Amino acid sequence: MPLLRSLRGALALALLLTQGAVATAQETVKIGVITDHVASAKFYAEPVTRGVELGAKMINQNGGVLGKKIELIIEDDQNKPDVSAAKARKLVDDGVVAIISNTGSPATQQAQTVSLETKTLHLTPANSADTLTTQLDDPYFFQTGPLASIQLATLMAYTKSRGFKDVAIVRDNSSLSQSFADSFRKGLEKVGIKVALQEVIPQGATSAVANLQKVRAAKVDAILQAGVLGPEMLQFFRAYQQLGMTEPVLGSYNLSIPAYLTMAKDLMDGVVFVDAFDADKPEAKAFTEAYGKEYHEQPSSLPAYGWDGIHLIAQAIEKAGSLDKEKLRAAMASTTNYVGAIGAKGTSWGFRDGKRTGFDPQGAVVRVIKDNQHGPVVFAGQN
Amino acid sequence: MSDLLELVVSATASGSIYALVALAYLLILRPTSIINFAVGEWAATGAFVGVAAQTTLAWPALDGPYWLAVIAVLVCLGALGWLVEALTVRPLIARGANITSPILALLGVLVIFRESLTMLFGADPLPSPPPFGFKRVAFGLFAGVPQQFLIITVTFVLFAAVWLFFERTVWGRAFEAVALNRRAAALMGINLRRVTTFAFVSGAMVAGLAGLLMSPLTSAHYMMGLPLAIQGFTALVIGGVGRVEGALLGGLVLAFVEQLGARYLPIPSGLTLGFPFVLLILFLFLRPSGLMPPREAR
Repeated sequence: MPLLRSLRGALALALLLTQGAVATAQETVKIGVITDHVASAKFYAEPVTRGVELGAKMINQNGGVLGKKIELIIEDDQNKPDVSAAKARKLVDDGVVAIISNTGSPATQQAQTVSLETKTLHLTPANSADTLTTQLDDPYFFQTGPLASIQLATLMAYTKSRGFKDVAIVRDNSSLSQSFADSFRKGLEKVGIKVALQEVIPQGATSAVANLQKVRAAKVDAILQAGVLGPEMLQFFRAYQQLGMTEPVLGSYNLSIPAYLTMAKDLMDGVVFVDAFDADKPEAKAFTEAYGKEYHEQPSSLPAYGWDGIHLIAQAIEKAGSLDKEKLRAAMASTTNYVGAIGAKGTSWGFRDGKRTGFDPQGAVVRVIKDNQHGPVVFAGQN
Repeated sequence: MSDLLELVVSATASGSIYALVALAYLLILRPTSIINFAVGEWAATGAFVGVAAQTTLAWPALDGPYWLAVIAVLVCLGALGWLVEALTVRPLIARGANITSPILALLGVLVIFRESLTMLFGADPLPSPPPFGFKRVAFGLFAGVPQQFLIITVTFVLFAAVWLFFERTVWGRAFEAVALNRRAAALMGINLRRVTTFAFVSGAMVAGLAGLLMSPLTSAHYMMGLPLAIQGFTALVIGGVGRVEGALLGGLVLAFVEQLGARYLPIPSGLTLGFPFVLLILFLFLRPSGLMPPREAR
């Protein structure tokens, strides 16, 4: 009998401890983050994730959400779609209430199969592919990054405003670069600008002099740089400098990745590129200040996407008033007029008319690189 | 005309890099009959070692000068070449393995090197500081950047030295004897093991030097090895596998075809990607011995 009593006592203690553990676990709100620490999306995935981490820290310092702290669970998908889906499932199994995808668009697309099946709120704050919300009807998935079509429209509007008539497109031979170049070509033709030639700098090239000599000989008004591979981008800028070229260089959203400034140090001054960040905007200033205090450096625009993403989710949780998945989805879907660090002055985000892409069509900007830094905004919107 | 002369400088520099990688292949292939596709990864390793020696990133006060990077690359790559030979090739030869076994083992080495570079230095390309800056310089109508002229000078000096080594020294003749007939060379008292080790050490050093010289133009990145391995191999086939001069000629021919084709042929520039493969196929079918036939065929 004493043995039985002891066993009963032990069981009661175990139950108490288990309940205690459950109570502790419920004291945080778990949010999953899928990023890429090692592969081709690392360039932008890591800075965006850093913004998520900073945002979560700030939110927690201000009391958290629903009185609980946010706990981030970060997974690396190596920018592989199949791995991304597996990581999303792991995060759901770990009890997250929402997933933020900071990896490449194809990987985010695949992870959606899990968010749809498990009815988990899923947000991508930086992915730009237009098809992310159209290929799969996933009501739990939201996108706030500037769509490629919006960036393109802004770049084309800027190109037209400068009075360029003939331009050259220079790209590398990656599929993403080819896709950028095709979008550029279609956009340019739409606004009546002629693509005089398209040059390809192949992966592994040891010189881009021949390519840029052809561009120089074509006497174009400007060069649209559609490359994405760092070493080939460096070849482009080295040859551009070596040949003493002065044609304006216009780049995609891809050039907002700060790593290019390190790789092609002092070679990119004067280059204009599409971005979605205006450092003079009050919300952007608040973000920049918080980032500077935490990391003791000036941020690029990329962490601001993550910062906005985690704040948007926190707002949805507060609005839902609970962690119920359906309520969270409804709260996110009802977001309107959200002004974050990302987006041109005077623009806001919102998921109006049942759309799940929230970026304002007038929110993209064109910035210029100055003193090896992402400099001021020189153009905004599409008009 | 100035366009053409600018392109001559650019193509000669690129061709010199291909030639150095081809030489790395040749130094190993001639005495051992082993094609070592890992030379591309050795070149990438040379680029990273050079960057590490020159830019400590966190402690700029410890940044080393370029000459130190050259020494670091030669020492590290020489040691790695020795290690690879001792751990993979030597045991297989000792067990009498077929010649394909070391080739396959070295393909494994290729993967190990690439993944190790990614783990050690990350996936981001690292900028490599040029020793003489990047301002355009001109010698008459020939214009380029200082790094291109440095590459050309170092390559031609190195090729001259290697040519003299093979033609004028006992060690060089021992290499040649082993290349011509391994068994006969052994019977003549030439230490085959030592020649094999020397072949791998020197091949790794030359490949590493190619990576170091090229990296200021392209940055150091973990994906740089494979294209270099292909370009170097193509240069070797074009020039012929039997002669040092062939490697240099093959590299130059490949680079000139690539760059003059990209500049002057009326075709979309994307198609120029196929030039090395077209040349490779043409030479393998029409002139498998390359532009410079081996000595025994003379």
